[in-house]
Amino acid sequence: MQNGVIFLLNDWIRQYADGAADHTEIRAQQAFNRAVTLVGGNLVNNTRTRTGGVCARVYKNGLWGFASKGEYDEASVRAVLETAKENALFMDRKLCAGKAPLLAAAPVHYETDLVFRDVEQKTLIDYATAIDHYIQTKYPDLASRSVGVRSGCIEKLLHTDNGSFAHQLFPRTYFIISMTAETADGETVELFDIVGGGAGSFSDFYDDPMQYADRIDSLYEELMQKREGVFPNAGMCDCIIGSAVAGMVAHEAVGHTVEADLVLAGSVAASNLGKEVASPIVNMVDFAHTALGEETPLPVYVDDEGTACEDAILIKDGILVGYMNNLESAQHFGVKPCGNARAYGFADEPLVRMRNTAVLPGTDKLEDMIASIENGYYLTRTANGQADTTGEFMFGVCMGYEIKNGKLGRALRDTTISGVAFNMLKTVDMLSDTIEWDFAGFCGKKQPMPVSMGGPAIKCRVNIGGR
Amino acid sequence: MNGLKETAQYVLQALLSAGAQQAQCSVSSGIKEEFNIDAGAFSLLRSVFNSGVSMKVFVDGKMGQAFINSLEKADIDAAAAECVQSARVSVVDECYSIASFTENADFTDGTQKHDRDCFFDRVREFLADINSEFPKIMVEQIIAEYVEGNSVLANTNGVLYTQHNANYSVGAMYSAHEGEQTTSFNSFGIDYTDPDSRIMDLGNCREMFARCEAELETRPLEDKFEGVAVFAPACLDSMLSTVLDNFCSDGVIVEGTSPWKNAIGSAVAHPSFTLRVIAHDERVVCGERVTDDGYISVDYDIIKDGILQDFCLSEYAARKTGLKRAPSTSSCIGVQPGQVSYEEIISRIEKGILVCRFSGGEPATNGDFSGVAKNSFYIENGKIAYPVSETMISGNLAQMMHNVVGISSQVICDGTCVLPYVAFDGITVSGG
Repeated sequence: MQNGVIFLLNDWIRQYADGAADHTEIRAQQAFNRAVTLVGGNLVNNTRTRTGGVCARVYKNGLWGFASKGEYDEASVRAVLETAKENALFMDRKLCAGKAPLLAAAPVHYETDLVFRDVEQKTLIDYATAIDHYIQTKYPDLASRSVGVRSGCIEKLLHTDNGSFAHQLFPRTYFIISMTAETADGETVELFDIVGGGAGSFSDFYDDPMQYADRIDSLYEELMQKREGVFPNAGMCDCIIGSAVAGMVAHEAVGHTVEADLVLAGSVAASNLGKEVASPIVNMVDFAHTALGEETPLPVYVDDEGTACEDAILIKDGILVGYMNNLESAQHFGVKPCGNARAYGFADEPLVRMRNTAVLPGTDKLEDMIASIENGYYLTRTANGQADTTGEFMFGVCMGYEIKNGKLGRALRDTTISGVAFNMLKTVDMLSDTIEWDFAGFCGKKQPMPVSMGGPAIKCRVNIGGR
Repeated sequence: MNGLKETAQYVLQALLSAGAQQAQCSVSSGIKEEFNIDAGAFSLLRSVFNSGVSMKVFVDGKMGQAFINSLEKADIDAAAAECVQSARVSVVDECYSIASFTENADFTDGTQKHDRDCFFDRVREFLADINSEFPKIMVEQIIAEYVEGNSVLANTNGVLYTQHNANYSVGAMYSAHEGEQTTSFNSFGIDYTDPDSRIMDLGNCREMFARCEAELETRPLEDKFEGVAVFAPACLDSMLSTVLDNFCSDGVIVEGTSPWKNAIGSAVAHPSFTLRVIAHDERVVCGERVTDDGYISVDYDIIKDGILQDFCLSEYAARKTGLKRAPSTSSCIGVQPGQVSYEEIISRIEKGILVCRFSGGEPATNGDFSGVAKNSFYIENGKIAYPVSETMISGNLAQMMHNVVGISSQVICDGTCVLPYVAFDGITVSGG
């Protein structure tokens, strides 16, 4: 490390990729994570991690061999390449799949100009402690509070046998606060918020710990409303899925069903390509690196198979027009891959993954959307979600409000909404004209993966849980 | 193992040299070999050679932690210096500690010798068995792996434990398809030790696939009612894990937000309900032998005959609260089976639901939960009536534990847990 800038990986892998047979990828990675967590003022996590290594993946007659080592030098490169080849040959010998060679994407060359400036642990501790002190002093009635600060970076160096090269950095920094309050009947309610941050170093986003005091105050006010909150009436209802929740519609409700590997495994999208799956005002895109004229929260320029990343158009004017592919599935469907093959760690193989998936904004104003509902709910925060290959989805909702006669009413306690994506999307009749991104999440699909998701406020009908 | 022991001693020395007053480390190395089946066909053989060093130090009552995946001395030296520096700039907390010395031990569990060819053949046979016995099943993914690991945990109090584990594991995701009809995805996983095992005969594989095929003709439930929910073992595991997280873990006990915070010795569940950590049970594969804190792991009762016996606290949380450190940090749990069969439990239910998978929001700290009952069946007049779609269940975990109305005599063991079917009354079930 020099002046806080992480040293970049040496390129020891080019010479091995150049001479490889069949389709071969060699990837070296290192990852840094710095974490501080205070729970009730107690420092329960004060960790610095560094991991790294190299992997190779070789394609042989329709089967893959992969190997990785947690070391990065020339001997390790040779070793993983050799083992990956042996693994591919083992599979070929056992199965004789005899598939056609893999068609590589056009070679691409990409070198990042990003740098990741590391942060001293003291800076993180001081920042978290100052925020914790602010919450403790201003809101002593809270039953519990926690503050976590995370700053990290993944660096990837990729060579493929057809001449693709990519050197990319994926920094990510954010802080998260959580508050718990006791209700009048002795139960507890809680809320959390991810405050500031994005694809950069700590110093890119944070300076004065009080810069986000208004966000902390807002979270507390919402928690006090939730403390007095009610449970929704279970069943189908008119809802406005707030823009902070809309990313879940893009990612969970639709996104997973149109990942090509899941399509091949029988997802509902398999029989819906080219069909109307949503209201004509609905458009959905998995953005590569630029959306609506700005860089996305987690830009990806080259995927881990060496394909240059482009936007994957998924729903256009309500019609399902495409899937997200890797090289193999793109070859299967006869389409151009858009660079959706992503691997998390150096020991992970690329899978079909989302990048920055969003429902595009419409033309409506949020206040008009609320005014249009006689009896329903406005859902403003989510905690988690899950998809299904049938298109049936679920999101946990941790904050929301009743809508009565076009006006916001009482706050809601924790609940869950569910629906079937291609049914629910057909009920969408209003979309707000703004988009909000959530960049701090991880998607779980064999491996974790940083993803971003976004969307406008969406008016639709969904099934809501009650008590 | 001697090489890892030497590395562990080197790590401790590096930490002391950097200025640590107390230090603990865990040094590990291992290999994983994994066959992947995607969309019903073999796709990948993956070999992962891994290693790791985790470090924890105290300097003047302040803590620092670090992790690297390199066993190289230069990397260890750099990480040790960084770890100690993190502690120096940290905050004092008298409750930080490392494990006390009691006795040192070496543990060996699991498979004696890896046989890749045999394992591959058995995985291929499993795929053929699925295709022939359950033709409506479409395999989304199977991950079949052999995992072998060696580790050493050591600290400056003289603690030194070595562990060698090796086992096989198969996880499957699948759904059933017939014409235009398709089910939700199902999944199961199982750990075992003999590579020459017929995988279809392990755990309750056949039952899981058969039930999935039976889910094809789902109907949305029109009704909303309060009734009995029977949780299948795999689903019960995730619900009980949430109960333990929300009511018994470090954060909620130290912060005092758990509804069970003062309930040790009190009834928190129906008297028929006993929940135990069972890492040493012979049906558990490669269970925990050393706790996360560095003590020899001992199985224990969390709830016995409905009475809360113990929380699941780390040594830090125990020192913070004056309560007892949990004798085990394993997530392998067992529920004591009941006296009646699963079939008899179903026959007693007038109106209810068999919940095989729960897809819901994170339950609130007070235990309120709501979510979708997946791969689930409506129960009416003592019989499984039909599979349901778009059906939600909701309730409160703390209340639910008191409302146990049946525990099956049959248990399912997947190599990590041993669990029966458990029926809970008072669950709200609502259709779309």
